[in-house]
Amino acid sequence: MTAVALLLRKDLRVLLRSPLLLGALVAYPIVIAVLVGLVAGYASAKPRVAFVDEDNLPPVVSVAGHRFHWQTVVNEVAKQVTLVQLPQAEAQRELSTGKVVAVITVPPGFLGDLQTTVVSPKLLLQTGSGGLAPRVTEQVQSLVYQLNQKLQAGYIQANLDFVHLLLRGGKGHFLGRNFDVLGLERTQQELARLPSTERVAAIEHFVRQAREGLAQTGSALRATANPIELEQGSAHGRTWLLSAQVQSYGIAVTVTFLALLLAAGATASERDEGTIGRLRRGLVSLGRLVWAKVALAAVVGLVLGLAIVVVFGIVVEAGGITGGEPWARVPLLLVGVLLAAGAVGAAGALLGALAREARAASLLAVLIVLPVVFLGLVPRGALALAYWISLFLPFAHAVRFFGAALYDTSPWGTVGIQAAWLLGIGAVFWLLARLGVRTLTA
Amino acid sequence: MTTPLLRALRVARRYGEVEALAPTDLELLPGEAVALVGPNGAGKSTLLAILAGALDPTEGSVETHARVGWVPQRPAHYARLSARENLELFARLEGMGDPAHAAASMLERFALPIAARPSGELSVGNRQRLNVALALLGGPRVLLLDEPTAALDPGQRRRVWEVADALRAEGGAVCFATQNLEEIEHAGRTIVLQDGRVASLTVEEVFG
Repeated sequence: MTAVALLLRKDLRVLLRSPLLLGALVAYPIVIAVLVGLVAGYASAKPRVAFVDEDNLPPVVSVAGHRFHWQTVVNEVAKQVTLVQLPQAEAQRELSTGKVVAVITVPPGFLGDLQTTVVSPKLLLQTGSGGLAPRVTEQVQSLVYQLNQKLQAGYIQANLDFVHLLLRGGKGHFLGRNFDVLGLERTQQELARLPSTERVAAIEHFVRQAREGLAQTGSALRATANPIELEQGSAHGRTWLLSAQVQSYGIAVTVTFLALLLAAGATASERDEGTIGRLRRGLVSLGRLVWAKVALAAVVGLVLGLAIVVVFGIVVEAGGITGGEPWARVPLLLVGVLLAAGAVGAAGALLGALAREARAASLLAVLIVLPVVFLGLVPRGALALAYWISLFLPFAHAVRFFGAALYDTSPWGTVGIQAAWLLGIGAVFWLLARLGVRTLTA
Repeated sequence: MTTPLLRALRVARRYGEVEALAPTDLELLPGEAVALVGPNGAGKSTLLAILAGALDPTEGSVETHARVGWVPQRPAHYARLSARENLELFARLEGMGDPAHAAASMLERFALPIAARPSGELSVGNRQRLNVALALLGGPRVLLLDEPTAALDPGQRRRVWEVADALRAEGGAVCFATQNLEEIEHAGRTIVLQDGRVASLTVEEVFG
């Protein structure tokens, strides 16, 4: 067995004999995974929304001669939120107590206005002040969008019917009044029977132009209704962004925190116990000593990462959370965990060498880990300096690696780049730690 | 001319502006025992750590022509491992063929507890004996001892000196630091250190 393996086995044995630390190590990933799972579950849960129908909408609505199932559209929205039909007073009460996060009201006269096709009826939306309000607003906007999409066809057809009437002539009906229309075709026929004069010729010319122009009305109306049409292709990229983010951050925070703490403490404790002197006497090179601490961080990180993934996966599967757990990607994720924990371990070894005492090293690790994590969370646009600093620390790269490994359809590009970053950062910290442990004299 | 088992050439150690050890020469010949004597902070531990290879000198060099064992002043072992586990680990790191046997024989030789009790929970005397036992793994021909008997009872002290004397008798060399003037009788040569330098004073002059 090599010196690195011997020291690694020793460190793991020491770790297993520290009941409090061991308990924390076992509990930590479970707590993190359960919390992360709950966050993912809560985020993907349907918010409860009250639906107040003050117009007594029938299940099937007829607008401009077109019938559509109002209830079908409502049911579509109900896939994203839980719609609960309530009287207005009760809906308001539940909104004030937070039992529902929003109230959608169909006011009296809604259907009548809708059927005129000349007035835009209004749906009323009230939201609470909770964190889910923006999501509910988006859902209701989606409902209105879907309704408008369905009504659009009816409205366009109604307009086209009027255009057709203008072209062909016949009996019409608008705002409760019946009327007869001569129509451009019959006008042209009537004009043909009149003596050919310059004035008649001018009117015939106008009628011909009007007929040609109105013949294009259908396309023009459809284009006006949808200046830009969204065509949705097959799904690419992340399958479930929120799950990817929370799980990636959960694992990255855990690995960063524990790998840094363990490597720093284990390195400094070689001085505390006086064993650094024995090891330096040709038994273990300083480089191998640092490797042993990196290996400790990597092994513990790997076990904790796996534990988080498994517990998180169980929570996700048991809760039926959208997106599920991509089990097939777990091996790739664990490669990232190994690299990230190793890179953080090298940083921890440097910290331990500089702190020189296990207690100081542990305290320093705890103090450093939070800024490191937050630096990794700052978007580039928010504070460029924070972004650039985080580029040279393992956390942000670990998060990107984990997210890509778990949910990107084609993760290899991102995974390759982030792996290279982690290896590079790890190598620099290893080198610095190798220099730092020279100061750990007996 | 006899080749020294260990030779230090103008080894010195500085910590910033502080000179812990001025350039010092030392040779350990086969069968020789050298005592390093001096008050606290005289540079004895620093010199022994440099000779052992546990501390890099800021200048000078050390040549070794034999395996060296080192007993640091403060017991140096893993507190959460038992005495047996510590001995087995260091025996493996020394590259010994049968680490389990080496550990068992040291446990017996120094009457150390064989129970799987963390060594950090042992008595001060037992920890110091473990410290000596660890230094003897691998069969060193040069033994460097930094106040090895400070925490030991008279019986245990005698056992340590028996080990050192036996090593010297077999052609090895011993160099030890002490503030116990009675122990100087185990040395054939005494070097007095004061303020990090070899002083041309007698032991009596140093300690008044």
